[in-house]
Amino acid sequence: MYMYLPIALTSVNYLVVMGLGLAVGLLSGLFGVGGGFLMTPLLMMVGIPPTIAAATDANQIVAASASGTISHWRLGNVDFKMGLYLLIGGFAGGAGGVQVIKLLRATGGADFLIKMTYVVMLGGVGSFMFVESLNAMRKTKKASATSAPAAAPKEKKGGFFAALPMQTYFEKSGVTHSALVPLFLGTFVGVLAAIMGVGGGFLMVPVMIYMLRMPMHVVVGTSLFQILFTCIEVTYLQAYSNHTVDFILAIILLVGSVFGAQIGTVLGRKLHGDQLKILLSIIVLAVTVKIVLELVMEPSILLSYAGGH
Amino acid sequence: MKRAIMNSTRFFMSMALVLFGLATVSVPAAQALTCSVTPDNIPITFTYHGAQLAITGQSASTDDLIVTITSEPVDTALRNYEKVGGLVWMKKGSLEFKDAPRVYLLSSTADLSRILDAAELNQNLLGFEALRGHIRIEDGKGNPADGKWFDEYLKFKKEENVYDMREGAIVRQHGENGNTYTVDVAWPYQAPPGIYTVNVVAVRNGKVVERASANIEVKSTGMVAALSKMAVDQAGLYGIMAVIVALLAGLGVGAIFKKGGGSH
Repeated sequence: MYMYLPIALTSVNYLVVMGLGLAVGLLSGLFGVGGGFLMTPLLMMVGIPPTIAAATDANQIVAASASGTISHWRLGNVDFKMGLYLLIGGFAGGAGGVQVIKLLRATGGADFLIKMTYVVMLGGVGSFMFVESLNAMRKTKKASATSAPAAAPKEKKGGFFAALPMQTYFEKSGVTHSALVPLFLGTFVGVLAAIMGVGGGFLMVPVMIYMLRMPMHVVVGTSLFQILFTCIEVTYLQAYSNHTVDFILAIILLVGSVFGAQIGTVLGRKLHGDQLKILLSIIVLAVTVKIVLELVMEPSILLSYAGGH
Repeated sequence: MKRAIMNSTRFFMSMALVLFGLATVSVPAAQALTCSVTPDNIPITFTYHGAQLAITGQSASTDDLIVTITSEPVDTALRNYEKVGGLVWMKKGSLEFKDAPRVYLLSSTADLSRILDAAELNQNLLGFEALRGHIRIEDGKGNPADGKWFDEYLKFKKEENVYDMREGAIVRQHGENGNTYTVDVAWPYQAPPGIYTVNVVAVRNGKVVERASANIEVKSTGMVAALSKMAVDQAGLYGIMAVIVALLAGLGVGAIFKKGGGSH
């Protein structure tokens, strides 16, 4: 039941860890998020040091997102073109974000800003998605009650985005945008993700839904495709620079998460886009409440190892 | 004359017997303190989840005993939580705990305060209060930090199971092998690999009168050792291996689901 981890230098119940992998992999397949914002604190709860929890989580997300990407690709849910633009922007933003955080740390008080950004972003995104999905579900219900055909969401035409150069049609998503839009949004999420020390899936998904106006199922597949590459980069850099990737812990986690991602994909097909959005928003809001409680309640022990959120 | 010689021989033999008898009776009081630990070598393999140690030895029957297991002192840096803006708790600064053993497990025959006075305990570094006086705590700027942080440090280490005190846990036995003592210690898996020292002190009339010690080696072996080494010595290769295995696992399971005729 127990397995010793050579880098974390601790012993864990591998069934519990596999279960965590399965649960977070399920969310990954369902919503297209990496799940780092859930997995890292869960790993810390089972005794993994924070820096190793965060780095190893990126390694297992490689497996879960590869598994999820391939099954979504088979379903035709991956917009590779859009994913590539977002990825380029994300890499640039991530590199920029790291510099921003260095500057902030040098000025002092950065941790407070990071934590507040995290809470505001999570809370804001979660609340917006929750209200928006609830309204959409009510409208659908009303429309079906009056037997009128549900109106398809109108794509916003014109305005600033339409005036931008390099207009491109994204076939899988069925939308037309300037290539600069996903590049800019990818950079924006990359900067925020680097500042907050998270993968950014929970930010990228709403950006794709509400700003790029992509269909929910394509959003999930494309987000996983993008997360796959981001986490490959993070895993390698963490292993090379900080020696914080526990290969054995990652294997135990990924045994659970790759199956979870497959089950999540199957479940996701049975749910409506608005149902998926409202479920994700509830999880994001629950995590926000947990973080706020942790912030305002005095910790039982006032010391901790470095790292973690 | 012959009779006189025989009488004196008997006298000397009797005296020798009496002296031998006295010597035998006084052995327990002068019995040398010994210490051995089983196992004294703990291999860390994938199935390692700590170990059960038995510390045994001989001692004088009337002496009190204190057994400690400690490591070489090290400097440990930890982040400390502070209230920011009067509202939220955050990791604000860092504290350095200097000359602090990684592991400190103590067992004794009775309450420490009944065995030795505070000055003796401090001098011999026995008990948490003695550690309080020994470990220096400095903030990020190298200034001495508030003493309350030692209490937090103790809580932190106890939570990790690497600091513990079990007063009255040592069991004594009086048998054919003389006076022996034994104490069972649950060795925490959280203790990092290294060499640890088991120290036993015998206390008589409020003074430490004898000492004995033994070593325990905790060492990674096989694949655990190989992976730990590779993660540091060949970090690039280790990173590539971690990525490839994760990719293959993800793609492999994807293929299995497809072969299994899955739902898509």
